[in-house]
Amino acid sequence: MTRKRRHSLPLIVGGTLVGFIALMALISIFWTPYSIQDMTGGRLGPLSSHHWLGTDKLGRDLLSRVMIGARIAIAVGFGSVLIGAILGVILGLVAGFAQRWVDESFSAMFDILIAFPTLLLAMLIVAARGASLTSAIIAIGIGMSAIVARLTRLLVKRVLAKDFITASRASGTSWARIIFIHILPNIWTTLIVTFALQFGFAGLTEASLSYLGLGAPPPNASWGSLLQEAQATVLTSPVAAIAPGVLLVCLVIGMNLVADGLRDVADPTLRRSR
Amino acid sequence: MKRSPMIKYILRRLMVLLISLYVASTSLFVLLRMLPGDPANALLTVGATPQQVAAARHTVGSDLPLYEQYFHWLRNLSSFHFGTSLIGNVPVGPEINSRLSVTVPLTLISFFVTITIAVPLGFIAAYKSKTWYGTILNSISQLGIAIPVFWVGVILILIFALRFMIFPAGGFPPTGWSDPGQAVRALVLPVATITLVMSASLTRYVRSATLDVLNSDYLRTSRSLGSSFMEAMWRHGIRNAASPVVSILGMELATTFIGAVVVESVFALPGLGSLLVQAIGQRDYPIIQGILFVSTMAVLVIGFLVDLAQRFIDPRMSKSLAGKNA
Amino acid sequence: MKKSTKRMKLGGIAVAAAVAMSMTLGGTSASAANSNATIDIGTLHEVQNLDNTANGGAGLTEAFTGNVYEGLFKLSDTGKVENLLAKSYKVSNGGLTYTFNLRSNVQFHSGKTMTSADVKYSLQKVTATGSQSPQKSALSIISSIQTPNPSTVVVNLSSKSISLTYNLTYVWIVNSAIGDMTSTEDGTGPYKYTSWTRGATISLTRFDGYWGALAKNKVVVFHEFTDGTALNNALLSHAVDIITSEGNPDALAQFKNASFKITNGLSTNKQLIIFNDKVAPFNKALVRKAATSAIDKAKLLSSIWGDYGTVLSSVMTPIDPGYEDLSSLNPYDVSLAKSELAKAGYPKGLTFTLDTPNDDPHPAAAAFIQSSLAQIGITMKINIITTSQWFDKIYKKRDYTATIQNVLSGRNIGWYANPDFFWQYNNPRVTALVSQSESANSLGAQAQLLKRANKLIVADAASDWLYLYPLIVVSSSSLSGYPVNGINSQFFVYNITKN
Repeated sequence: MTRKRRHSLPLIVGGTLVGFIALMALISIFWTPYSIQDMTGGRLGPLSSHHWLGTDKLGRDLLSRVMIGARIAIAVGFGSVLIGAILGVILGLVAGFAQRWVDESFSAMFDILIAFPTLLLAMLIVAARGASLTSAIIAIGIGMSAIVARLTRLLVKRVLAKDFITASRASGTSWARIIFIHILPNIWTTLIVTFALQFGFAGLTEASLSYLGLGAPPPNASWGSLLQEAQATVLTSPVAAIAPGVLLVCLVIGMNLVADGLRDVADPTLRRSR
Repeated sequence: MKRSPMIKYILRRLMVLLISLYVASTSLFVLLRMLPGDPANALLTVGATPQQVAAARHTVGSDLPLYEQYFHWLRNLSSFHFGTSLIGNVPVGPEINSRLSVTVPLTLISFFVTITIAVPLGFIAAYKSKTWYGTILNSISQLGIAIPVFWVGVILILIFALRFMIFPAGGFPPTGWSDPGQAVRALVLPVATITLVMSASLTRYVRSATLDVLNSDYLRTSRSLGSSFMEAMWRHGIRNAASPVVSILGMELATTFIGAVVVESVFALPGLGSLLVQAIGQRDYPIIQGILFVSTMAVLVIGFLVDLAQRFIDPRMSKSLAGKNA
Repeated sequence: MKKSTKRMKLGGIAVAAAVAMSMTLGGTSASAANSNATIDIGTLHEVQNLDNTANGGAGLTEAFTGNVYEGLFKLSDTGKVENLLAKSYKVSNGGLTYTFNLRSNVQFHSGKTMTSADVKYSLQKVTATGSQSPQKSALSIISSIQTPNPSTVVVNLSSKSISLTYNLTYVWIVNSAIGDMTSTEDGTGPYKYTSWTRGATISLTRFDGYWGALAKNKVVVFHEFTDGTALNNALLSHAVDIITSEGNPDALAQFKNASFKITNGLSTNKQLIIFNDKVAPFNKALVRKAATSAIDKAKLLSSIWGDYGTVLSSVMTPIDPGYEDLSSLNPYDVSLAKSELAKAGYPKGLTFTLDTPNDDPHPAAAAFIQSSLAQIGITMKINIITTSQWFDKIYKKRDYTATIQNVLSGRNIGWYANPDFFWQYNNPRVTALVSQSESANSLGAQAQLLKRANKLIVADAASDWLYLYPLIVVSSSSLSGYPVNGINSQFFVYNITKN
């Protein structure tokens, strides 16, 4: 009993962190303390009862901006994981079944995609589509799809090498059925864990994109662009740099813990052995 | 017996490498030209007359039809000539070389320092996972992967460059490596930044790979047969743990090569990444293509080396890879 | 501040002569100055190549003008036109012929002595077919150039040009044997160029064969930064001695101590909203006036620059000939703006898209404009684009409703005289006044004509000129003798000394 509780601890802590941010994002859809266009707060105003986190250069309420940032972080996470998952699993399945040079070409392609950091992809996509939240999500999603594809390929190959596949094939099962009956059920737990991890990292990548000026355009600033803006005023108003930074770290750690927890729950062998 | 499939394998990989390189650079050529934004724009100022706009297009060659540009580029490439920067009018090859003299040391030093730190730490974190310092190690690495890399850079600058003035806050000596002391000093904080972030994630990988091995049946079997823990680990554990770690290492190395751009930006280093950012902004195609060619090659070569290393570590893989059924 | 003010792009049509303005040189004492010192200069301006007729960029102007290359005339730090390689000149033939008497014994860095043939070559380089020089159109009035002897150049004009000498301050005198100068140099300035790493550093060394007083320091290295914070850190850690143009007022707190000096000078860098004057809704002057009156420029300026900078009311800055404060024509007045908008036929407001370049401070300025216009019922969408796209979409195709941009050069009123310019402002009276001003007989008459033209432009609210950037130079306190104003991005380094 105690053992079981200890094992779901990461899930609880992670879930709380992520839940808090998700709640913030949800509230921001209906209500923020100030409108994002309200510039009545005074330049770089201090923390006060009116502005809990102070105001930015243009006199906008920072708490409101941070809340909207939470919404963007969640959107980036979901959007990019969705793109990454769909693209990645399909490509990975294809590569997993491929043989010899087709397989190797796929692998090379994944390697190139993984090594060409999302940053570069984002630069190209932003150059093509203009800087927007969607551009950032697409870039992060495509970058992620290579990681997912690589993993899926490996997992598929591992399953394909098993005897029951050979047996199943021998009994005349179609490949499509094999995918749905044998392969996907055998790999999805690992994939889910990866998606959870990548959800958090997407937020981190978005921050780097915004740091280089490739993120979501104003007035809806992401935490990354808040951090980037705050860097210039870090001496005069450090809270502006701390608040979005801490939330970003919370999101990533939270998702990591969720992923750890999911792994523990999903993989009974690991649970037993620890 | 053993050698011929190996040679065949290497030859095949080489073919794949060349084809990937060609396909990657050609698709890049097309992709880049599809981007909105004429490279001639970097030569324009507000106030330029229509004649000057036309002259700028002529200077950079963007008035030529696409297929002509393509063949021109192909001809250059076949003689390993990357062309001339459209905007700077300097040859791309030497330009990239000078950037590599910053990026390659930055990447490699960070990489080796990371391995030196992260592998033992990851092992300890796994082996001592039930003790308090194992937990602390794990939490620290957890925190480490969650912090944006530019934050780490900014904090290191605040402490070591501005507060204590031990290391420069950024930049690289204009004379490059002719003064190695200065060059190394300039790289200390950037290397530390990359190392901190990369160590955190590598520690976690090593930890989980080691945990997998520690919990494996063969290790337990081996120990029950009387091997000491170290013996068992040496014989079976390292080999099994190393394989996933090596492939992660290869990936991290390749990513850092270009991904150092954020660190280069924080520390104002004249590296490959910052040149690429500038070139993309200006649509300076020859430079973009030159850099991407070099880095694609680096990625593929690293991937190849990783494969070889894995075969060396785990000969079972070579059988499965070289065999018909992968 | 991220990429900051690297960008834009001079290109002044030149109208007029120079008006002096007050200035102080940074620092005064030079007790134990070392004449062999190395001065490290940090800048956010970019060098693209080494040829200013191939748009080498603002960083090149900064590093080379007056330092490596010299013109017949120079624009001083106070904006005055002074003789440089021209010892004297004479105007004849009703203002259509200029005879320049060249300084003798001037050597190029390659050792060759400068002659009138080099001057002719340099002038022709600016007006040649492939030239990207911003002065090309202004100097296209040169109909012929004669070189009667090695020290005399005679320039004939097709029409009178009172600002010829001002325009010549932009023209570098180059050795006629140089050929392609995008990656090499041969000028007459007090420094020789020694090396250039694109995007990183450009190094100069004192030229001992210089015709005038030798430079007061031996080596000057310009360090190019893309990130303002990195540049500040470089100064804080003494990796550079001086920042030519600080982009972030909030970073100044860390320099307010005995180790550093801060000066607040004038630049020619202006921020503006550009309306497409031929496209609805901004084809109506009333709508433009309403938008202009809805924006509190003083608050915008202080949001971005704190206590620095100057609010503008027209294209002219205080050092332009004919400048006057015209803020009463379109005052900040929300109710006036609302009534103008209603009178223009938009009582319920309107919606448009502002194409916004992605470099600082444009996105922040756009957010400010967005919420200002919301007060009068205008819904503004922000479309972020890159500089390259800006040139394609806006400058070349004119496919826009409104945009924002900054312009680095001084004296831009001539752009309004060209109905074909990308903002498509067409007012024949302005065109006539500007062209008359160019053939005026005195600087005073020129200023009067430009004043009248400017008033017409502001009454039409053709564009909304928001503010003039400050030029904040921050240096280590051991440095003195540096320029404190940023006129057309120049930065003369030869008087800088280090204790």
